[in-house]
Amino acid sequence: MAITEAGVPERKYNIDKRDLIQKFAALAGLLLLVVAFSMTSSAFMTVSNGVTIALQTTSIAFLGLGATCVIITGGIDLSVGSVLALAGVVAGLATKAGVPVSISMIAGILTGGVCGWVNGIVITRMKLPPFIATLGMMMVARGLALQITGARAVSGLGDDFGILGNGSFMRIVEEGANGFPKVVFPGVSYAVILMAVLAIVCAIVLAKTTFGRHLYAIGSNEEAARLSGVHVDRTKIGAYVLSGLLAGLSGCVLMSRLVTAQPNEGVAYELDAIASAVIGGTSLVGGVGTISGTVIGAFIIGILRNGLNMNGVSSFIQMIIIGLVIIGTVWIDQLRNRR
Amino acid sequence: MSAEVIRPQGAATAPRLGEEILRATAITKRFPGVLALDDVSFDLKRGEVHALCGENGAGKSTLMKVITGLYGLDEGEIVYKGEKRAFGSIQEAQAVGITIIHQELNLVPHLTVAENIYLGREPKKGWFVDRKKMEADAQVFLDRLKVGIRANELVLNLTVARQQMVEIAKALSLDAEVLIMDEPTSSLTEAEIDRLFEIIHELKAHGVGIVYISHRLDELRRIVDRVTVMRDGRWVSTRDLAAITVDDIVAAMVGRSLDEKFPERTSTPTEEVIFQVADLSRTGKFRNVSFDLRRGEILGFAGLMGAGRTEVARAVFGADPKTGGTVVLEGRELSIASPIDAIRSGIAYLSEDRKLNGLAVKMSVKDNITMANMEAVSSRFGFIDHPLERRVAKKYVDLLNVKTPSVVQIAKNLSGGNQQKVVIGKWLFRDSRVLFFDEPTRGIDVGAKFAIYQLLDELARDGIGVILITSELPEILGMTDRVVVFHEGEVTGILETRQTTQEEIMQYASGVRHMFR
Repeated sequence: MAITEAGVPERKYNIDKRDLIQKFAALAGLLLLVVAFSMTSSAFMTVSNGVTIALQTTSIAFLGLGATCVIITGGIDLSVGSVLALAGVVAGLATKAGVPVSISMIAGILTGGVCGWVNGIVITRMKLPPFIATLGMMMVARGLALQITGARAVSGLGDDFGILGNGSFMRIVEEGANGFPKVVFPGVSYAVILMAVLAIVCAIVLAKTTFGRHLYAIGSNEEAARLSGVHVDRTKIGAYVLSGLLAGLSGCVLMSRLVTAQPNEGVAYELDAIASAVIGGTSLVGGVGTISGTVIGAFIIGILRNGLNMNGVSSFIQMIIIGLVIIGTVWIDQLRNRR
Repeated sequence: MSAEVIRPQGAATAPRLGEEILRATAITKRFPGVLALDDVSFDLKRGEVHALCGENGAGKSTLMKVITGLYGLDEGEIVYKGEKRAFGSIQEAQAVGITIIHQELNLVPHLTVAENIYLGREPKKGWFVDRKKMEADAQVFLDRLKVGIRANELVLNLTVARQQMVEIAKALSLDAEVLIMDEPTSSLTEAEIDRLFEIIHELKAHGVGIVYISHRLDELRRIVDRVTVMRDGRWVSTRDLAAITVDDIVAAMVGRSLDEKFPERTSTPTEEVIFQVADLSRTGKFRNVSFDLRRGEILGFAGLMGAGRTEVARAVFGADPKTGGTVVLEGRELSIASPIDAIRSGIAYLSEDRKLNGLAVKMSVKDNITMANMEAVSSRFGFIDHPLERRVAKKYVDLLNVKTPSVVQIAKNLSGGNQQKVVIGKWLFRDSRVLFFDEPTRGIDVGAKFAIYQLLDELARDGIGVILITSELPEILGMTDRVVVFHEGEVTGILETRQTTQEEIMQYASGVRHMFR
């Protein structure tokens, strides 16, 4: 055995260093953005803006969590933006019809789950490529959302409908000297708390459960996973259902923020979700990805938008910049892997 | 390319049969960690069919790939038509008249036959492809083959055999002076082979030199003039076929002495049959395969590439469908529809291609070892017990002597032998009763091979059924108790290893002998 002993090079430290660089590259980029925007805009580094950014990032993050799970299996889910809209209008219409808000929203979330399940079935049983299956669902869900609302926004949903998106925890309001209320601390909005909780739950699922392990195994080598007795189809369907549920939740939060159910909401959000996962180091080939990376990726996109807005950069220029950031990060990732 | 030039030999150069056209001298080719070709020489005359024989991995295809410029060469020289050449690509070789028909066909299925024949050198009319001329020209070559293929058919609608014919038509259209055929008959019917041989004779008469690589030794007699045998990347002999027998070729192919080290076998087969497969069939792949396995025994599967050994193992394991047959483990008939069923019953399959089917290379050693038995390291709700998982992984890493800095090392970074041990660890942790090892030592170094052999022996001694699928005959002779020999999807012989020889196995493997017919 002396031959093999001598033959195996010691590679451990090399690898760890690379992983470390990857983890910190995204985080460092995020911090750099914060510092840069703090210097260019005085309104950026304030508590209220922080709360705004967090709230704005929730929808990308919800979708990004689902996208990460799906992409880790080597798949893709293009339907989430439309599913979000469908779930939101289902919740809105149900509320309008007199169903209690909480039940309506659960119905909305489950609608998302059903869409995800259909995606999963089409991909595993009908054996369509995920790109095609979810592209189809993207159109079907959007069409359904428009059809059942007559393409009109559903408004007059009542204050309760707005709680999920606009309510906050620990909001401190004092009566100012002039008699108007003065916000001392804007509080942490429910949506942000939900995002944090779900991110942690997803991270645990990926790192600590057999389901999570199987997602990685399928993405790393689907045939090896199958030959090892992994329920490949079941696991994949699970990933798409998860993505659908999160899209449904995202839809409810978004519509709640507007206190209106908009069938046109969420167009192209799937691309933000995929971008956040990819910026966070998830490989589109599958087998690689973390929730922490995706959350960082979501915040990079959220902060870029917010900071550029504050600096008066037009939304067209923003698109260009975010596009370049995506290309840049993935390119750096490729360079890193090529070594 | 014009329709008038249908002869493979341009009218300008009169064929001088017997004149040397190609000579490769002292060719050496290294791949990382492997010496693929070691000082090999080969020559070809105009109007000659020169067969290249050898076991799988002997270096035949590699030699041809070096000659045609697909691989660069490390040492040696190639002389073509009296000129020293080093082709940078297949296209360069093609341009001067050397054409290769690969074993795996290189046709684009969604294009027509004519488009495939003229791919990359389409006749043009102005800016556009001259489709009419292209199809007419292609048809001329197809007609010469007399197989009734139309130039405007889509390749995907053709059988593999007819696709082979398209490749040959393409070679004709390339005006080849040297034609290399790698296993051209492996997918052809008898009639098609007859037609192919007629064409080969025709080409010979026109002064084309043909290199013919084949496992079917019985058919050499019909077309071949000289035979070169290779073994382990080395040249063994070059003889006129008329002067030798098929047995001589077989002997030269396997002639190496058992210089590889095998551990002493410590397990002895008992009479107790633990595993039985009867009349297993899969249409188009293998038929009526029956064998049994006794406790303490290592059973070998021998045969040439494509003989159906892997396919049988995969069908038993539920990875591929089967069309008939029974599988009995320890007296119980199993119904296996998927790998999940097989694994639950205690059957494991270590695939031939680790990277493709066996190992999740982006995952850690630990993740790979526990992959087939996650239930054992997680709670009922699917939460993985990480400390337990680590201990389990460590146990198998130590037991199998896997050289890895830690159990969280990514599998990709391990050497081939250690990767193989990780895959073995996966199945040991699953408590498998019968293990199929498909080419377990392919591409791993000598020391690691020895460790794997020891492991096979230990498994057999522990009462686990071991089936060793290998293309290396010394491995069969060194490690197994009995050997099942496959030829083209059939079991042609089941031999007691102790009483057989490499030559005898090779005779069954090449279909020269058949025990059940």
